[in-house]
Amino acid sequence: MNRVGQGAAAILPIGIAVATCMLLFALAGYDIISVILGVTEGALTGFGSFQQTLRWAMPLLLIALGFLFCLRAGEFNIGGQGQMMMGGLGSVAVALLFPGPVWIAMPTALLAGMLCGLIWSGFAGFLKVRYHADEVIVTLMLNFIAVLLVSWVTTGPLKDPAVRGETASTPKIDSALRLGGSDGISPTLLILVGLAILAAWVIAERSRMGVQLRYVGKAPQAARWQGMAVRRLKFQAYLLAGTFAGLAGAFEVLGPNGRLVTGATPTIGFTAIVVTIVGLSRVPGIVIAAIFFGGLQAAILFLPIVSDLPSSGIKILEGMIALFVTAEFLRHWRQR
Amino acid sequence: MRPTAVRCDGITVQFGQVRALDNVSLAFPVGQIHAVLGQNGAGKSTMAGVLSGILRPARGSVEICGRKIQSGQSAAARAAGLDIVHQRFSLPPSFRVAEALEFAAARKMGGLVYSLRRIERRWRERLDAVGITVDLRSRLASLPVETRQSIEILRALANDARVLILDEPTALLSPTAIDKLFRQLRELRDQGVTPIVILHKLKEVLAVADTVAILRQGQLVLPPTPKDTLTTSRISTLMVGAVSVATRCATPTKDMPAADLCRLDGIATRSRGSEPGLHDIDLTLGQGEILGVAGIEGNGQRALAETIAGLEAPLAGRLTLAGSDVTERGTAARRVMGLRMVPFDRMTEGLSLTSPLWENVQSWVAERFRTGPWPLISIARMQESTRAILDRFGVSYRTTTQRGDTLSGGNLQRVILGRELAGTLKVLLAAQPTRGLDFAATRFVWQELHRVRDTGAGIILISSDLDELFEISDRILVMRGGRVVGTFTPPYSARTVGSAMVGAAE
Repeated sequence: MNRVGQGAAAILPIGIAVATCMLLFALAGYDIISVILGVTEGALTGFGSFQQTLRWAMPLLLIALGFLFCLRAGEFNIGGQGQMMMGGLGSVAVALLFPGPVWIAMPTALLAGMLCGLIWSGFAGFLKVRYHADEVIVTLMLNFIAVLLVSWVTTGPLKDPAVRGETASTPKIDSALRLGGSDGISPTLLILVGLAILAAWVIAERSRMGVQLRYVGKAPQAARWQGMAVRRLKFQAYLLAGTFAGLAGAFEVLGPNGRLVTGATPTIGFTAIVVTIVGLSRVPGIVIAAIFFGGLQAAILFLPIVSDLPSSGIKILEGMIALFVTAEFLRHWRQR
Repeated sequence: MRPTAVRCDGITVQFGQVRALDNVSLAFPVGQIHAVLGQNGAGKSTMAGVLSGILRPARGSVEICGRKIQSGQSAAARAAGLDIVHQRFSLPPSFRVAEALEFAAARKMGGLVYSLRRIERRWRERLDAVGITVDLRSRLASLPVETRQSIEILRALANDARVLILDEPTALLSPTAIDKLFRQLRELRDQGVTPIVILHKLKEVLAVADTVAILRQGQLVLPPTPKDTLTTSRISTLMVGAVSVATRCATPTKDMPAADLCRLDGIATRSRGSEPGLHDIDLTLGQGEILGVAGIEGNGQRALAETIAGLEAPLAGRLTLAGSDVTERGTAARRVMGLRMVPFDRMTEGLSLTSPLWENVQSWVAERFRTGPWPLISIARMQESTRAILDRFGVSYRTTTQRGDTLSGGNLQRVILGRELAGTLKVLLAAQPTRGLDFAATRFVWQELHRVRDTGAGIILISSDLDELFEISDRILVMRGGRVVGTFTPPYSARTVGSAMVGAAE
């Protein structure tokens, strides 16, 4: 199949999912025209909507790029959520606790975020390659631990005394350290994300390691006979995944959020997995898919304003897309 | 004139671009042992699949014992009295013998309650009747292959099969077990069962068959013909087509070993599952030598290969490669030192079927592909060198980006040889390099092995095919139970090497 055909094959399950959802909404008595208009406006045409789309595409994209490396190596590392939260934690800790000149503090905060994500993912990778622990379970459980850690930090050591009520969070970081305003994104952020995309592409497609990772994932036995360091390569895939997810967390803190919030974006790490798969496990595809899902995320926040469909309707749509796309994905996975 | 057991008319099977069977019509009479002979890829297994209703042909019809069978329905074929014993067994290996037989039986025992004792009682008699002595409670996976095969045959007979297809039944058996199988087939014939045996070795066909049918590239070139009316040379000509089987590789001229390229001293490994570990293996490979390793499969050949490859760490002993101790070094380091490998299973160990050819042909560890300080690659350059290698080794391909699984078995082996033999090498470990290949591809592999040998490299050739080993080895070791039990030099005798393999006392 050529590239165009592959692209069409990737869009088809999304089309089926959207159609199914619209049918369900119509049957439930909602006006689907206003739903469609609402989603379009919330993601694309409304004032500042596309900015919101990009704002949500950003973490999706970074986690998805990280997940790509693990997926290629045949490792189902679903810990992107936790790795992102740890990244946010590392980043906010540096931003709040080590005040210094901006040109030192800012890169340090970014690096700390990446490092924390790397450690969180690397730990799962270590358990997998050293002790054959099931990576799906380990990374899933590490997600819960990360949630609880963030929850403890935001209600304990780094609690913002000004915040009352349900959502716990840290205080705002110094605005000089912010990479973007609370309305979404900034040129600096876009440039950094662009560099991250470029780095991911070079590592995945133009480095010896990237090609070896792919080979190891497809034919571990053949890779062993050829002398590839199978376990080390897989471990490196975990480190890469964690680095990218950690960067996503750091950007959340230094960009749109300006602080670490509990309960923010609790499912984005899982949507990112769907982004990788919809993006056909290729960097350009992932960029497009991330923008699409970023649009849906933006629409969730906007939809209740123009339509009577509750925002959970979009969650259903997302779930439906994930369902149809993974069903398609599993079919290919089995054939390999 | 005997009545017909199986008849098929105008069978055509198409797999994508490949026509596996082309308008094949034939009839097998009752009460004889029929052999279907052909090279790999001739359509033998496809034939078996069609007859047993597993494959649905594009055109044509099958008639079993006078009953026309809805094509592509294995239950119908079975009901009409035809059953098949697959090359890879079909009974679940984790089941106990009695359970597996009961599980596969067409007529199940009545009763709601599962009782292993009742199942055992039912099958004990049947097993005794055919002289299979086996503990009914043992798991199939723990039994030797010949016993498992007998149980598979019994399974088919228990369903009242009157026609029994055996797909390559000798592939996994030792010479003595093959004799026993053939005796069993003759007894079955005398009881009125019609065995149809799919084989690719001429010797075995001559030993067992009453009639011979030959397929070549999907076409029936010889309908079932009484064996006595055929000559060996006629059969082999029909099998391979225009090429004469008499043109074989020249007998190797032996150079004096100047230095030991590979040396194993007292190597021992732990056993894995049913495969024994190595015990105190001593082995030396000289320059320009092809050292054959014979043995019935599962006697430590895999452990030997993986130890030499650096995939298995020995418990004891020392391994040297071109003079330096590599016992503690990994596969990549050994490759850099000049070791090359053709693994046992070309589909899973040799290369990645789902990866493009260029990824499969490039060696990702050898020093010669280090291009600079940056670990980045130039895909264009890699594809260029891939094309050069593929062309040199006569692979038929379209582009270097097509996937491995678009190539045939013989072509895949050429790809692997291309990768392994492209640069300079000191030691080649070739494990079953010609298994499953047709005559032309086998000859190509042998030629390449000779060429490598003539450059002064040493070759360790692990094979379960004695003909191959006799043809090209300068020296043959026989392995049994993880030990080297004999060393032979030309001229070889199949009788002495064979008895060393099975452990028969001389």
